[in-house]
Amino acid sequence: MQERSHAVIVGAAETPYSRHPPEGTTTESVLADAFVRALEVTGVRREEVDGLGVASFTLKPDRAIDLAWKLGVRPRWLMDDGNGGASGIQMIQHAMRALDAGDASTVVLLAGDHFTREDFKTLVDEYNRTTARYLAGIPHGGPNALFAMLTRQQMEAHGLERADYGHLAVAQRRWAGMNPNAAFRTPLTLEEYLDAPPVVEPLHRLDCVPVVTGADALVLRAEGDGVRIRALRALHNVDGQEGTGLRTGIADIAGELWSDAGAGPEDMDVISVYDDYPAMAVAQLNDLGFAADGDLSSFLRRVDDERLPVNTSGGQLSAGQAGTAGGMIGLVESVLQLQGRAGERQIEGARLAVATGYGMVLYRYGACANAIVLEGP
Amino acid sequence: MSARIFVCESCGRAVFPRRLLCPDCGGSAFRDEQIETGTLEDFSDRGEVKLGVVRAAAGPLLIARVEGEPRRGGEVSLDEDGDVPVAHA
Repeated sequence: MQERSHAVIVGAAETPYSRHPPEGTTTESVLADAFVRALEVTGVRREEVDGLGVASFTLKPDRAIDLAWKLGVRPRWLMDDGNGGASGIQMIQHAMRALDAGDASTVVLLAGDHFTREDFKTLVDEYNRTTARYLAGIPHGGPNALFAMLTRQQMEAHGLERADYGHLAVAQRRWAGMNPNAAFRTPLTLEEYLDAPPVVEPLHRLDCVPVVTGADALVLRAEGDGVRIRALRALHNVDGQEGTGLRTGIADIAGELWSDAGAGPEDMDVISVYDDYPAMAVAQLNDLGFAADGDLSSFLRRVDDERLPVNTSGGQLSAGQAGTAGGMIGLVESVLQLQGRAGERQIEGARLAVATGYGMVLYRYGACANAIVLEGP
Repeated sequence: MSARIFVCESCGRAVFPRRLLCPDCGGSAFRDEQIETGTLEDFSDRGEVKLGVVRAAAGPLLIARVEGEPRRGGEVSLDEDGDVPVAHA
């Protein structure tokens, strides 16, 4: 049993996710936008912010301290995180202990990106040294081809068909229709999902996240009223990139997570899994124990037919992937739902939420994995 | 024609790509080993290029550019384009 943190998440904010942001938009401008929105919704004054954590692929060569300077913040606690889809929970893991220890009293965590065409090509080809040296020269063209193989293996291992993933895509688009910040809000039919043009078989266009510009923010305080952190666990590099990739580190930490939380999958009112591809969302749902009977196909059908609360912002598949904000979108949605601020898509009486982080494709698949259970105020 | 994998000098564990320390014994010295063939575990066709996952007999998985007509589970001969493994189906 881990020691539970006394820190609380007092608020969350998100900029609109946009495929075509206004002229002059930069990574630092969207991060600043999220920062200002977070202060507005929480009523926290800028002078009170004494901790700042930032995750971004495209902020470089600037770092969290550059942002602190330009935002006019004087942090006693400062963090740069580069762990992509796992960065949101990763920053909370550090921030909550810093708050417990008294290093800071009010922390703002930011994640977001704005990609120029050149930024995106650099990210794909120079994601890490291994990619630059061993994959870019294939040319591998980014992660689609790797996750195409992984998806096909998952289909074979669990007897899934494209339509099974389609239920998740259709359900998430339905939620996105109720999220004014989402990039794609027009309802989607299963036929439209199946008929989308192929990218790399078995992946078609609606299996691949749309790249958008945007940023997310969380505000944490050492104590007081807010969303509580019941449990947080992480396990990175679980298999040294030598497994199938179908089982993430979350499978190994799920038992501890639920035990620390004093709750199980069946108790969750809101579920947010990292959805860079439908197959990875399915892998994490499976790792967390949401299909206890092992029947993933039936579970995915229920996500659609019974409106199970999975990725209720629309997730990255419909709201968009704003770079590292993909590691915070599920956290922001969880906080909004638990605070009763999710507008048209509000889950009535939502009290408990689980969110996961996943990412950093070192060679064959993502190496980072973490998960958090949150409790409403 | 061959491709490189890396073998730990201390315990003989093979890896690809090279690590800093051996995942099994922690040793830091690796020697190159040339391998000529492998098994194509899976492949992906992205139009202008195919890529695949090749299992070396010694264990490691290599992501390779695939040339020819690939078949899952088939044997491929291995080659290198710079540091990039190339599998000939």
